[in-house]
Amino acid sequence: MTVLLATFIKAVVIFGALVSAAGLATLAERKVSAWIQHRLGPNRVGPFGALQPLADGVKFIFKEEFVPEGATRWLFILAPAISAMAAMMSVAVIPFGGLVTEIDGTEIYFSIADLDIGALWVVAIGGLGIYGVILGGWASNSKYSLYGGLRASAQMISYELPLILSILAVVAMSDTLNLREIVNIQTSGTAFGFLPNWNIFYQPLAFVLFVVCTFAETNRHPFDFAECESELVGGFHTEYSSMKFALFFLGEYCAMIVMASLTVTLFLGGFSVPYWEEAPWYLGVAAFVAKTAFFMFLFLWVRWTLPRFRYDQLMNLGWKVFLPLSLLNILLTGLAVSL
Amino acid sequence: MANFLFYLMALGAVVGSLGVVGSKNPITSILSLLGTFFCLATIYLLSGFQFLAAAQILVYGGAVMVLFLFVVMLLNLGNPDTSAAPDFIGKRRVPIAIATSICLALLTFIGVLGQGDVQAGNASLAEVDTITGLAELLFGSFLLPFEAGSILLLSAAVAVIVLAKRERSQADKPQTSDTGEAVR
Repeated sequence: MTVLLATFIKAVVIFGALVSAAGLATLAERKVSAWIQHRLGPNRVGPFGALQPLADGVKFIFKEEFVPEGATRWLFILAPAISAMAAMMSVAVIPFGGLVTEIDGTEIYFSIADLDIGALWVVAIGGLGIYGVILGGWASNSKYSLYGGLRASAQMISYELPLILSILAVVAMSDTLNLREIVNIQTSGTAFGFLPNWNIFYQPLAFVLFVVCTFAETNRHPFDFAECESELVGGFHTEYSSMKFALFFLGEYCAMIVMASLTVTLFLGGFSVPYWEEAPWYLGVAAFVAKTAFFMFLFLWVRWTLPRFRYDQLMNLGWKVFLPLSLLNILLTGLAVSL
Repeated sequence: MANFLFYLMALGAVVGSLGVVGSKNPITSILSLLGTFFCLATIYLLSGFQFLAAAQILVYGGAVMVLFLFVVMLLNLGNPDTSAAPDFIGKRRVPIAIATSICLALLTFIGVLGQGDVQAGNASLAEVDTITGLAELLFGSFLLPFEAGSILLLSAAVAVIVLAKRERSQADKPQTSDTGEAVR
């Protein structure tokens, strides 16, 4: 019973943290873009504009709900929900921290579920978010939306393969799909005598491939062809307004956070504190948040620095560069593991 | 609870597959198929096969169905005109031939699988739910059928490319003869 209660509390805490972090990320996006472009950014609501996400939320609620003529109504409404739900569900297996406490001999860890197939779960459930984009684009009955949805589906198929293959390299090294065990392996020992024992030092190629693929998977710059406002008006969400539009954005930012946490978990030692194996669990959580925040910043940094690719460049990069490279990486990893 | 969930999912799978063949709108068909896959994945999960459930969602739900959606949306198939009675065999000789040969190949493949050590397979069925157990079965006692299956899939992929290439080169011919080199 107490274990059930503990799981419920963890679910509430992690879900709440994820959604508030997504809200904060929208503020961070506007602040970082302002800094990079030498502007001030939002600074009117609350101190330094800190309450801007709340104001945005209120604005979204009071906007007019609009379903375009000829749209497939049930899909049009369902699509943003799919998008947001997939991102929020995939967070369930991410280990945010180590052992918190023991209740009646049961160890309570800081993650909602401790699945043996954790790495697969994140990719499988997170990958479903693309249905929101595709179906939203199709159901809108607008050519811009349809193009956005089409591009998203082709892009997702092209980049899911190298993404999974680069995860597979880590899995082959760690001998497990359980994310907590992958972190535990990285916690103890050192790499090359002085570096923390993180997978990034053993799998630099997989790390680079993985990070670039997460940009494509979350439809972020420089791969945001599903939106692509200079060609497609707003892409898949052209016809969306009010809270349905907000749900798409919530889904996108949640997916970014999940992908950033997955990067940290797989390649940067997750919740482990470098050079301090016996660190208390709250320091582990703090280390996790700090590492994830860096990758969130990377998402924003890249968006406001690099121009958007051309669509044929995106496809060439995916199929002719990334896929062979990730296969080569798997081959090398396999050789290294078996020797 | 688990029993109730099983029957619910089984019902969902049946309703979903009826929706696939019964629906006139291709997008609705695809979504029904997706629903069926989810119900099947839940049934796998209820039976304790976590990996199979995840693979089902990842491969079929995540990749294959997205590809289907992509193709249907690209061709922009509307509601088909049902007034014209379809001439099933005449127009579809090649697809039917391919489908039949794939079915025959699959049957052969299952035959090969059956010849494997069935006793060993049954005995270690309990270990399949762990990834290690699954890997040992796939790359140990059932390595030959497993590789035969992948070669079958590879040959199907190559066959599709060959067929598509041939059709295009035939379609290109009248164009080039009409307008000369300008088309190229």
